[in-house]
Amino acid sequence: MEETEPELSPAPSEQNSPSSSLSTSSSPSLSLPSTPCSTCGPHHTIIPPLVVINEGGAELNLVIDAEVAQRACHEVLQKVKLHGDGHHLHNRPDPETPALTTAVKPLKIQEEEDNPEGSAPGSVKSARRRQRHNPSKQSWLLRLFESKLFDVSMAISYLHNSKEPGVQAYIGNRLFSFPNEEVDFYLPQLLNMYIHMDEDVGDAIKPYVVHRCRQSISFSLQCAWLLGAYSSDMHISTQRHSLGTKLRKLILSDELRPAVPRARRDPLTLMSFCPVISPATGPGPPGGDHGLSPSKRTHQRSKSDATVSISLSSNLKRTASNPKVESSQDEPVRLAPQREFIKSLMGIGKRLATLPTKEQKTQRLISELSLLNHKLPARVWLPTAAFDHHVVRVPHTQAVVLNSKDKAPYLIYVEVLECENFETSSVPIRIPENRIRSTRSVENLPDCGMMAEQRAGSFSVVPNYDNDDEAWSVDDIGDLQVELPEVHTNSCDNISQFSVDSITSLESKEPVFIAAGDIRRRLSEQLAQAPTTFKRDPEDPSAVALKEPWEEKVRRIREGSPYGHLPQWRLLSVIVKCGDDLRQELLAFQVLQQLKSIWEQERVPLWIKPYEILVLSSDSGMIEPVMNAVSLHQVKKQSQLSLLDYFLQEHGAPTTEAFLSAQRNFVQSCAGYSLICYLLQVKDRHNGNILLDAEGHIIHIDFGFILSSSPKNLGFETSAFKLTTEFVDVMGGPDGDMFNYYKMLMLQGLIAAKKHMDRVLQIVEIMQQGSQLPCFHGSSTMRGLKERFHMSLTEEQLQVLINQLVDGSMRSLTTKLYDGFQYLTNGIM
Amino acid sequence: MSQMEKKAGLLRRTSSSKKPLKEKVVLMYDEIFSKEDPAKNNPRFWDELFLMKVNLEYLESKLESVDGEEVQRIQDNINSLFHHCIQALGEEHQIKVVNALQTLCALFRGVHQKNKSASGFDIINVLMGFDKAEQRMKDLMERLDSLLCGDGSESLKSLCLKLLLCLVTVTDNISQNTILEYVMINSIFEAILQILSDVSSRGQHGYDAVVLLALLVNYRKYESVNPYIVKLSIVDDEPTLDGMGMVVHQALTEYNRQYKDKEEENQGGFFSTLTSMVGSMFIADADEKLSVQTNEAILLALYEAVHLNRNFITVLAQSHPEIDIAATPATPTPTTPTTPLGTTPPSLDMMSNPELPLDPNLQTSNLLITFLKYASIVMQDTKDEHRLNSARLCLIILTCIAEDQYADAFLHDDNINFRVNLHKMPMRHRKKAVDKNIPSRPLVCAVLDLMVEFIVTHMMKDFPMDLYLRCVQIIHKLLCYQKKCRIRLHYTWRELWSALINLLKFLLSNETTLLAKHNIFHLALLVVNLFNMFITYGDTFLPTSNSYDELYYEIVRMHQVFDNLNCMVLRVSTNTGQWKEAASKVTHALVNVRAIINHFNPKIESYAAVNHISQLSEEQVLEVVRSNYDTLTLKLQDGLDQFERYSEQPKEAAFFKELVRSISLNVRKNVSLNTLSQDVLLKEFSTIS
Repeated sequence: MEETEPELSPAPSEQNSPSSSLSTSSSPSLSLPSTPCSTCGPHHTIIPPLVVINEGGAELNLVIDAEVAQRACHEVLQKVKLHGDGHHLHNRPDPETPALTTAVKPLKIQEEEDNPEGSAPGSVKSARRRQRHNPSKQSWLLRLFESKLFDVSMAISYLHNSKEPGVQAYIGNRLFSFPNEEVDFYLPQLLNMYIHMDEDVGDAIKPYVVHRCRQSISFSLQCAWLLGAYSSDMHISTQRHSLGTKLRKLILSDELRPAVPRARRDPLTLMSFCPVISPATGPGPPGGDHGLSPSKRTHQRSKSDATVSISLSSNLKRTASNPKVESSQDEPVRLAPQREFIKSLMGIGKRLATLPTKEQKTQRLISELSLLNHKLPARVWLPTAAFDHHVVRVPHTQAVVLNSKDKAPYLIYVEVLECENFETSSVPIRIPENRIRSTRSVENLPDCGMMAEQRAGSFSVVPNYDNDDEAWSVDDIGDLQVELPEVHTNSCDNISQFSVDSITSLESKEPVFIAAGDIRRRLSEQLAQAPTTFKRDPEDPSAVALKEPWEEKVRRIREGSPYGHLPQWRLLSVIVKCGDDLRQELLAFQVLQQLKSIWEQERVPLWIKPYEILVLSSDSGMIEPVMNAVSLHQVKKQSQLSLLDYFLQEHGAPTTEAFLSAQRNFVQSCAGYSLICYLLQVKDRHNGNILLDAEGHIIHIDFGFILSSSPKNLGFETSAFKLTTEFVDVMGGPDGDMFNYYKMLMLQGLIAAKKHMDRVLQIVEIMQQGSQLPCFHGSSTMRGLKERFHMSLTEEQLQVLINQLVDGSMRSLTTKLYDGFQYLTNGIM
Repeated sequence: MSQMEKKAGLLRRTSSSKKPLKEKVVLMYDEIFSKEDPAKNNPRFWDELFLMKVNLEYLESKLESVDGEEVQRIQDNINSLFHHCIQALGEEHQIKVVNALQTLCALFRGVHQKNKSASGFDIINVLMGFDKAEQRMKDLMERLDSLLCGDGSESLKSLCLKLLLCLVTVTDNISQNTILEYVMINSIFEAILQILSDVSSRGQHGYDAVVLLALLVNYRKYESVNPYIVKLSIVDDEPTLDGMGMVVHQALTEYNRQYKDKEEENQGGFFSTLTSMVGSMFIADADEKLSVQTNEAILLALYEAVHLNRNFITVLAQSHPEIDIAATPATPTPTTPTTPLGTTPPSLDMMSNPELPLDPNLQTSNLLITFLKYASIVMQDTKDEHRLNSARLCLIILTCIAEDQYADAFLHDDNINFRVNLHKMPMRHRKKAVDKNIPSRPLVCAVLDLMVEFIVTHMMKDFPMDLYLRCVQIIHKLLCYQKKCRIRLHYTWRELWSALINLLKFLLSNETTLLAKHNIFHLALLVVNLFNMFITYGDTFLPTSNSYDELYYEIVRMHQVFDNLNCMVLRVSTNTGQWKEAASKVTHALVNVRAIINHFNPKIESYAAVNHISQLSEEQVLEVVRSNYDTLTLKLQDGLDQFERYSEQPKEAAFFKELVRSISLNVRKNVSLNTLSQDVLLKEFSTIS
């Protein structure tokens, strides 16, 4: 990147660049919550104290003075015009903003063009239009922008629809004032606009993105992945020179490091002032077995066959041996470990796809993951998780290959240690697989004393850990103490205690007698007590793994893990998809998430479960698995029962509390997903794509066919959504109260969705830009979607509509046909 | 001796008569073996010597031919030669290093050949001189260490390892090799580990390194603190341990492959059967053809790793795609000669292959599976001593594995399923099993299968009592783990039960012959107690309620055997004699089995009588069993789930001493320094120098 050539360009100015374009006018009180104050500080002095209206101000003076607002708006526009000069005045070398200076063109005349999206839906939009012609109305828009109501959703909408660089630039700056999480939700939209819209929008967005990238490794990677994925539909020749590709390269070159080391990093970053650390030029610090190190021995070692298949570079090295070295190298390899981690997971997926049978795939998966384990713990994390953590181990034997015909998606469980901040917290020390060994080396752990105490309080799963004597004792099955699940001890009578522990004392001369019948009875009782598990099927390895209750699995894996005794230990899971485009899934996730929050806001109890999607490229990604859920196909195949009978088996008789709550869950989730399926036109609804969780909710997965696309265009699945008689049976039949409740929920849900239609449409609309995704095929995608909200209908008319939809779906032959078709072609019941 | 003299005389004669035709190096050797200091007349003597191609035979025979008094006279020169060899190891000139290494080897060998009976101290004196020995050996070990760890020529490294192997195996009994004391003090353990941790160096030298390590660990194992034992037991670096596992894995895989090839060869069509028939007329034992020579050295290394290092257990389960060695094109490497066994590294090309091959037909395998397959081959035939030793060592390793909690955990892990094709001995009364349809099961099933297979196939006159005991104990340990952890393994226990009952039957019918050599009551007690485990604790680990019924069915069905056993032990325990106590223990152990038989037999008979059936079907018997549990009372026996932990000392010490001796002999026989021909080295070094 030519503009970043100066090694240590004045950092504070870089830091300020985002705000320099516009917020010079507004920054004094438009506080940028995420910007470190130290960097703002010097800048304040240069800025003339301008009157600015912002959130903070709005809160203080509830009434916004119209005059002030107007003046501020003028200032804003003025600033935009002077923008380029301003930079020269400040005379700062600013690597990020040269594009901005050129970007200030005379105002375009685009407002005369027709809005390609048709008429603007809200009055707000038309207000915007008017203000273009009528300066007096400008305050109107500004008032909106500065008001409390102005949220990210609106900001994104204006960014997308506004053709005016000033407004775009303003919103670009305004982004800084929203909480990170709220903006993160719209990151796909932001980046898609950056890639596919004109430079003005790009220039408005870039400072924010760059700023966030500096702050966070995970944001950087997220951006890089999304930029890559959404650029992929461009023609190859334009793609190479597109803004998106350039930004991606910039991020991946890892030049967007925090320019000023934050205070807490200080002890570690002495090195960062030394020019040597630039990854391109400098060899790693001496002594470290770092990938860049020229030392031959370490280089060779990095090729040891732990890396045989997974060419994890030694960047992803573990650090137990030399944590100090690691921390000093922290900076140069900011992004590398995580990228390597993801790359190796994808590599596994690719290799699995070449194997013919499920069994071979499973074995291979386990062996590959066990090699991956050698490189952990490392500064890597699962992006789908909600908290900061380091991955410490992949319990490789738990991984399963999922059912798929030609791809090889797989599900892995990942043990992580929660930490404050994965960028700054130190990477956990490796504990070898064989737990007893770790107790021997306990002297090496600085905080072993503390650990032992913590353990005593909270964990009893790791025997032989408490004192040194025991730790040194040999750990054979003779002294193995097994924590039995409570069931056993509760239900066993006195004699069975004998059966658990044989009597070793020879003093008791009295012979102990036991009844053979008791032994036999206990055997059958205990077998009966065991929770219903699915039978192991080599052709469907995931069924067993998914059926096991999550808590049970966590407990089991924790017991078997050398890290299990640590209080920060957590178990995560993730589905790795290789060869699949998850961009549609991400779009669906966003829509679901939006509808979910709409329904929450409107207090309608529809239940849906959006699951996290991580798009890594246009043909790979990761999915957050739904906990405690198996597909309807697996339920039917394993239990050989109808859905209602399965509910009865799992939850009890129809009058029991358990059954009733499961049924309610079922109805609420059915209503939610019925609406989703209708609105998004979700197709390919066979039983393998519908999950049932332990509480009775159904969860639709696989949004590969939505909006304008449907599988093989066979014209199947003409019904609005899937509602089989089995579903209706679980709801208590077509005349039952629950079925009416279902229809009522759908009506409420649709009314709520209609009310906030814009929030949903906007997500889809922006993503359509420059996209070749099949769901946008044809020209009527947006129109069709909009129509399905039925803006013009009254509540009564909507009720009629819902009834029609439900009746139509129930009667639908095509659903049945489609299930039959799936059974024939894919063996899905 | 006379022959030796003759040879020596011959040499002397030739040396006197045909002096001008001698190689220069031989002349120089002669100079060393004269009384004078060879450097006296020629100050560059040592420099020149190491530039000459070594004549190993001559030097060795010369050393051998020197007799007692002469030694005293030329000791200074030999000391000097030794000293200069070590110095030459530090030379930049690689040819000199090579020659020095080979010369050292000849020195060690020659001196030991000569002084088979002499004490180690004399040998040290002859080679280095008492006063300087410590310093010399320190220098030597340091030089070797830096050669092994440096990034110099691979051939040099190989030669270093050969020298070390030569030194370690120079005596029959490794513990009598006094020079090794210095190898203990100046450890090269770290160098060995480094070789193992690096993929490419492991590929070329891993085999030698592992064998060397296994031997060093056995130096005065029981008498003193061996630093190699201590160090090996605390290694926790996974790449290194993995590397070690890989070397063992490759060697065992190679053996399995060779065996399979031979087996196929033997069954390959009519012609080969004909030839083998004809052949067998001349060769006494046709089976001989099938026996690929076993490799105890590598097995010993596996044992030491499993026994000493708890972390190594994880390596056992570390899976790798099964590599078909035949499929990978063998690139001939000059440094790896093919000798029948011992120090022959199996073709290791694929080990240095950094990418796993993408052949979809490859089955994933791990060290444990390979080991089980190996064991199944070795245990087929325990007639010859090597194979008996191998089989015993296999069972000892399995004992260690069965005792380890982590190993048990992955053996029983429901998620780690494999198809393990164990080799089964072709026997008259059973057709060869179709291997292809073995279900994918937890690994412990394969272990149990192997044990059952052994039990069924070794009931012979020359009864391998020791192996049987180990076998039954392994089963017991696995059952104890299952009981403790409540693991309900889906295994066809019936096969095990009937194998055990047949074993008892065999013991009974060969009582007299067996009692002459073995304490059969001990084995009988262990077997009966296995049944007691099932009877009393079956509720904790049997997979289905039916399996408990089947246990009773099997006992009742075979009640004759238990009745006879009871009679026999009663008879022996009432007589005063050697076996009185052992037999009475069996009597006590039989109490529940007898209770079962006595309880159910009348019930079954009356059922048959009532229903007028002469022969009850299995289902009917099971029905009777099921409906009559409640009136049966059993006695809880003590300590059924207790077992004696394996310990090498003192019980196994003698075995390992013998084993190490035989391995030493083998390795010594096959360490071939000459194979590193000068041409190859010259070619390699000519570019460097």
